[in-house]
Amino acid sequence: MKQSYTLVVNGHSHTVEAEPDMPLLWVLRDFLQLTGTKFGCGVASCGACTVLVNGEATRSCIVQMQNTAGLRITTIEGLSPDGSHPVQKAWEEVSVPQCGYCQAGQMMTLAGLLHQHKKPTEEQISTAMDGVLCRCGTYQRIREAAMKAVEAMNK
Amino acid sequence: MMNRGDEYLNSNPRILKTRPNVAHMTKTSISRRQFVKLSAFTSTGLVLGFSLTGFPAAAMSPAGDCDFFQPNAFLRIDKSGLVTILVGRQEMGQGVNISLPMIVAEELEVDFQKIKTDIAPFGSLKEGAHDTGGSQSVTGGWDELRQAGATARTMLVSAAAKRWGVDENLCKAEKGIVVHTVSGNSLSYGDLACEAAALPVPPVVALKDGKDYKLIGKNQYKKSLKEVLTGKAKYGIDLKVPGMLYAVAERCPVLGGSLESLDDSETLAVPGVVKVVRYTGTGIPMNVRPGVAVIATDIWAAMKGRRLLKIKWNEGAQNTESTEQLFKTFAATAKKQPKQVVHTAGDTAKTKAPASRTLTATYSAPFLAHAQMEPINCIAEVKGDRCEFWGGLQLPDWAVSTIATECSIPKANIKVNLALMGGAFGRRLQFDFAIEAVKIAQQADKPVKVIWDRMDDIRFDNYRPANYHRLQAKWDTAGNLQSWEHHVLTTSIARMVEGPEAKDLSEMLGGAHKDFWYAVPNVKTSYTPVDFNLQRGWLRGVEPVVNVFAVECFIDEIAQKLKKDPLQYRLSLLEGREPFKAYWDKTVEPARLAGVLKLAAEKIGWTQKRAANRFVGIAGHMFFCDSYAAHAIEIEMTGPKKFKILKIVATIDCGLVVNPDGMKNQMEGGTVFGLGQALRNEITVENSRVVQDGYYTYELARYKDVPQIEVYAVPSEAKPGGAGEVGVATISPALCNALAAAGRRPHALPIKNEGFEWL
Repeated sequence: MKQSYTLVVNGHSHTVEAEPDMPLLWVLRDFLQLTGTKFGCGVASCGACTVLVNGEATRSCIVQMQNTAGLRITTIEGLSPDGSHPVQKAWEEVSVPQCGYCQAGQMMTLAGLLHQHKKPTEEQISTAMDGVLCRCGTYQRIREAAMKAVEAMNK
Repeated sequence: MMNRGDEYLNSNPRILKTRPNVAHMTKTSISRRQFVKLSAFTSTGLVLGFSLTGFPAAAMSPAGDCDFFQPNAFLRIDKSGLVTILVGRQEMGQGVNISLPMIVAEELEVDFQKIKTDIAPFGSLKEGAHDTGGSQSVTGGWDELRQAGATARTMLVSAAAKRWGVDENLCKAEKGIVVHTVSGNSLSYGDLACEAAALPVPPVVALKDGKDYKLIGKNQYKKSLKEVLTGKAKYGIDLKVPGMLYAVAERCPVLGGSLESLDDSETLAVPGVVKVVRYTGTGIPMNVRPGVAVIATDIWAAMKGRRLLKIKWNEGAQNTESTEQLFKTFAATAKKQPKQVVHTAGDTAKTKAPASRTLTATYSAPFLAHAQMEPINCIAEVKGDRCEFWGGLQLPDWAVSTIATECSIPKANIKVNLALMGGAFGRRLQFDFAIEAVKIAQQADKPVKVIWDRMDDIRFDNYRPANYHRLQAKWDTAGNLQSWEHHVLTTSIARMVEGPEAKDLSEMLGGAHKDFWYAVPNVKTSYTPVDFNLQRGWLRGVEPVVNVFAVECFIDEIAQKLKKDPLQYRLSLLEGREPFKAYWDKTVEPARLAGVLKLAAEKIGWTQKRAANRFVGIAGHMFFCDSYAAHAIEIEMTGPKKFKILKIVATIDCGLVVNPDGMKNQMEGGTVFGLGQALRNEITVENSRVVQDGYYTYELARYKDVPQIEVYAVPSEAKPGGAGEVGVATISPALCNALAAAGRRPHALPIKNEGFEWL
């Protein structure tokens, strides 16, 4: 049975009616029209749906609505109002995307890492980014952009 | 089914042969020979009377209209001065939404930062002009798009000269302004739009000299970049249509099966589920499997409902096939007489050499899935005999004509809304999912968005064929290669799409056809298709990727056996060889192939001294989009079968490079795509079912797999070739050749199956 859930997304409070087991991903995409968060696999294997939950990079395809009480969620649309977050700026500077479909997940993963560790090591970056797939193969540019973003965050 | 002539089909690249206008060809009885001759001049349809303006005749020039000036379908200049360049080819990550506008803008003489780009709506161009594949967009559009820009520029200059009453030769256009060079008077394109629109479209216009290019050859970045980075870009899966329902489908697990029984009572009890519908499958060209779709008010309800379906399938007779058996069949069949000989030079049968001067080797590679990040999806709405659909399609015209036939909807009543694709790699050349969506929507009274989940995507793809190669070489006592035989066996794509009468010759592209680039006096290449009950389709660089692996490993293996340097050995068989005709209008220029190999070797430091556990490998090829590429790789062995890739160099000669950063992105991406195939990608089949079910089991290249990749282009003024696929094929053989240099040569991809491990 559908239930009412109130969640804070990108600083705004929303109340939605959803099944308790409905993944947050589909609520974001189809109820709140925040389609920047992408469906890639539905089983946490690709990272395309990554959002920040209380600052931590989380795969929204496996977060059920019944577990979202009190969570603060940030999607790519809320990472910055205008694409000015250091991660987005680094991605722009390096011109990372090809098709771009996975890039919200890539950027949110790095943003989550940067929330945890202001100055992550290369190894920490590799471990975080290794879990996010890009079929176009932009990994080399992701690496370059990630280094730039870390640098910008620590200026 | 469309009536498509086999001879034609077998003599043209896939992107041409798959176009629906082929039907026109056969109807108007243009012979194959005539067609091949004509097709040498265009890949966008001059053949079919497609004028250079890109407009269907009926929509020609809105002369006199005073809101905007649009002399052709590729650009529009509003009275306000806003310039919009429209892109006919579909964007899927390969960068045509930047490279194609650059070509138009170069001739149009506008400030590229101020113009807008947009998708040319389906129907605004002639049939086939939206087709996107075969790395043909830049190379096929080069003349037409320059012409489009130059035509508009010429007309704007004429309009200004007319207004001023001056000689138009004394007027010039730059940055969206026409200037009278004598008086210094100037008028903006916006000011001139209406007057230009009233002028006749000149049949011939002068194109710029390449040395005057301001835009072409300089890095430009996607205008949609910011939208992508802020989550605002809308891909097909993001589109919404008012009143839309959602659907997911359960498909017959075995190709050729049918629905036996269905119990949907539990599904219908799920809140939000609206309806459960059955739909039938289709035969060629798309081989849609029969299925049962759950239609619901939201996607989650549809997904939950699907899990509760109780379905019994009649699997048909071919439900016990496996890839394990297929590769045994390949190995046994490879030694027998081939089904058809494709290319011969000299006479290999007369070349005699003892076993000591003979080398025989086999190579193989598995079925592969596309696994583009955006799962397959399509929105369809059917009202009576009218249909509209929304989605990413690489061959929308063929999709429309097939849907018209399969779903009994008049072609003229089908409206298509093309969408940005989150990757395609050939998956969306196939339009099985669009036919399926229409079949489902025919049973709903609202628009329906059908989404495939990742398991559907991996299990019901159109797979790159599994393949096997047997090669034999003979040389004389001086070590000169005398004979080269190559027997290719694949589960043919042509047979899947065209039916059993297909002649399969496209399966031989990439060094196994007349394009075989090494100078060997006696050559025989041959083909044998092996039937297998699984959908096959085109995957990025498909035929060359299949064949180049074998060719470029085998030449290396011969060099190794002859104790010759693999690079120098290749060069000795390329340098000095004159350009030669391959197939269609394609000419192979061995010197250009030698050029990319030499550049790759130089950049990897081929001849430099390295530590005893470090090795290099190299491979090169010519791709049918008039491009050449090579890879060189350096590895470090950390165990007998354990290695680390230190560096990869990718080189390309694709003629004049339109957008260097776009080309570089494609070569980097192509390299990673190929590396994934070398290391990880593999689809296996048991009981005629694909075993893999998602990204956990169908492994893609990952962040940590990818070392430093350097990309270099051979400077060239030649007509631009394609860059989207040429960078895939040579990374696997280069890696295997490096491993061979280290002592153990893999003969089957992915190399993890032969026990190789990497760091």
